[in-house]
Amino acid sequence: MPILTRRQTLLTGTAAAGMLSAPWIARAQGADDIVIGASSPVTGVFSFVGVDLNAAKQDYVTWRNEQGGIDGRRLRFVWEDSAYRTNESVAIFRRIMAQEDPPLYYGDSTGWAKAVEAELTRRATTMSSAPSFSSDLADPEGVPYYFMSAPTYEAMIGVLLRHIREQASSGSPRVALVYSDTEFGRDPIAAARVMAEELGIEIVAEVVTRPGGVDVSPEVVTLRRARPEYVIFHGYVLAPIPEFIQQLQEARVDAQFMGTVWTMDKQTINQMGEVGDGFLGVVPYRYSYESDGHPAMEQMWEVARRTRPDADYLSIYYVHMWFTMMIFEEITRRALAAGDTLDGPSLKAALESIEDWDTGGFVGRPVSMASHSIPIGRVYQADAASGFLNPVSDWIDMS
Amino acid sequence: MRLGDFVTDYRAGEAVLRTPVQRVWFAAFLAFLVALPFVGGQYITFLGCLVGIHIIATAGLNITTGFTGLISIGHAVLLGVGAYTVAWMANNGVPFWLAIPSGALLAGAVGIVIGIPSLRIKGLYLAVATLAAQFVLSYIFREWESVTGGVRGLSVPPAQIGGFAFDSDFRVYFLIMPIAVVAVWASRNLFRTRVGRAFVAIRDRDLSAEVIGIDIVRYKLMSFALGALYAGLAGGLWAYFFRSITPESFPLQLGIFYLAAIIVGGLGSTLGSILGAIFMTLVPEVLRAMVNLAAIVSPAAVVYVSPLREIVFGALIVGFLIFEPHGLAEIWRRIRRFFALWPFRS
Repeated sequence: MPILTRRQTLLTGTAAAGMLSAPWIARAQGADDIVIGASSPVTGVFSFVGVDLNAAKQDYVTWRNEQGGIDGRRLRFVWEDSAYRTNESVAIFRRIMAQEDPPLYYGDSTGWAKAVEAELTRRATTMSSAPSFSSDLADPEGVPYYFMSAPTYEAMIGVLLRHIREQASSGSPRVALVYSDTEFGRDPIAAARVMAEELGIEIVAEVVTRPGGVDVSPEVVTLRRARPEYVIFHGYVLAPIPEFIQQLQEARVDAQFMGTVWTMDKQTINQMGEVGDGFLGVVPYRYSYESDGHPAMEQMWEVARRTRPDADYLSIYYVHMWFTMMIFEEITRRALAAGDTLDGPSLKAALESIEDWDTGGFVGRPVSMASHSIPIGRVYQADAASGFLNPVSDWIDMS
Repeated sequence: MRLGDFVTDYRAGEAVLRTPVQRVWFAAFLAFLVALPFVGGQYITFLGCLVGIHIIATAGLNITTGFTGLISIGHAVLLGVGAYTVAWMANNGVPFWLAIPSGALLAGAVGIVIGIPSLRIKGLYLAVATLAAQFVLSYIFREWESVTGGVRGLSVPPAQIGGFAFDSDFRVYFLIMPIAVVAVWASRNLFRTRVGRAFVAIRDRDLSAEVIGIDIVRYKLMSFALGALYAGLAGGLWAYFFRSITPESFPLQLGIFYLAAIIVGGLGSTLGSILGAIFMTLVPEVLRAMVNLAAIVSPAAVVYVSPLREIVFGALIVGFLIFEPHGLAEIWRRIRRFFALWPFRS
């Protein structure tokens, strides 16, 4: 018996072709629209960030279109779920570029940014960003069409080291670096050594761990012997930081524990429980609960409350994405005002023209782009009793 | 319906394309491959490049695992060896026509080293030994910073010949696809030779193979070397295609991807390598297109429907294992038999 008759084969093929073409037909809209493409990790291991990133993009586009778009041109957000897999996010990028040729694109990782970097440079049609603050990507010459709406990881560590220097009254503060054996984890380490030396800070231990590893006993022994006054964690979101802190506290290591931005969401810190009390970290933006008196942040809340009427907190990821959308809008406005077509070079020129820009409260001082990044951060400290993080430094500019 | 396909000598009986109809279809298929980037657009061309690379790598694993019966889980890092070799050479001014074969040869040499445990162990034990190679080579990719760029990896300049740069998907397609066609053709021909038959004999019963005079040591290592050479070739093309490689480009999951491809396509079948690689590359894309349909109905539904892709994809693979253990190649053969007799039903 044949497995399919000819008629069945034809019908199946036609149905499949119809299904595959339907999304493309649906997207063929508004030639004057300004398209923002995205590979969004709304599922997979990074979904705890990706869902909020995507929600912020959608909310921003909806709100901006209600206000008449940008110079009368509607924004259109085209995205697909990448599941935080580089191959998939690159495939999505290629598909959206082929179908929409968007002037703005938001990826999902450092891997994505590096994989599409050559294609973006060749096309010169699109300015991109992603939730990656890898120092390699802050390179206007080598990676001309990528920017980050935050400091690089190197600059974040720099903010922490400066804070340590200011806090230490005299002598050489003793710092340990604990980082994951990933590109993310290792990114700022070489620069951290140099900055520490310049600031008169002694790096007394460097501990490399497997990402997400939970058995940290051997590393704790190393740290206990080194007796650091400060321990900086980088390259993690949560695990194994609480385990480290707990075991070090049990070993009576009296150190100040610190982290970088991806650890610093309020909900992540709260998950640490009691061991998270007093945890310090660098954050590029104000927290959403600090919005009072800051018009752009109040605007963000007003829009966000439409879909989250009961929310009393917007994650740092949501804030990051909303702020990145503000930069997308700003550079689009500047490029259009200059009479340019929206493409890579005009958007790059617009980005590099940002100087002393008022962010409406997201960043506590006027922002100027430096190497396609914003080298400003502030140190916050967790208070387990209230569940909030409070600023303990001024805004530190690393440019 | 085909008639008169009579084989009159041994040579004709062993030909890869035995009948005029097969030759016409093959010529049409080659014409299709040439036309694809012209008619398919950028995205289809991108997928064509990806499929081409995966077909070469899958064909390599099928030589080692499918035809010789030596399980290898560390296939992905062999792509890495080829990719890093090409990236390093390209950054030092070596032209692509020298860099790609060098990457393949070095991967082949590494493959021999990885294959040494196969002389004493097989089955699951060999799988674990090749898994060790995955970790060791990944470690080297991360730590040998002066050559591999460490965790930051390497950027790769585009392949160039004269003033012509293979710097877009469209152009690089015409680098990848001819190499893929030649590699698959060579793989198919391999199993018409003494070497290929020795591989199959080792797979079927290595003791018996040794009794009939096959040098097991030599052929097992040769099988690993050839499989690795294909992986290195694919890795070199990968480097020129993505033009950026990091240690995270070649994870264990990629090795599992290729194992799944040869199982789904058909173990010990060159056609299976092609169909398996196509299936593993394109089915996730088709499933994502279906999720996009859900997005039209309700954007919020994507968050719930999207994870189902993984379940459906996994279920499809399990389905193949249960209902068609000979893989897609067997289904293809049945379809061919059906059309060979068409319009008469078998």
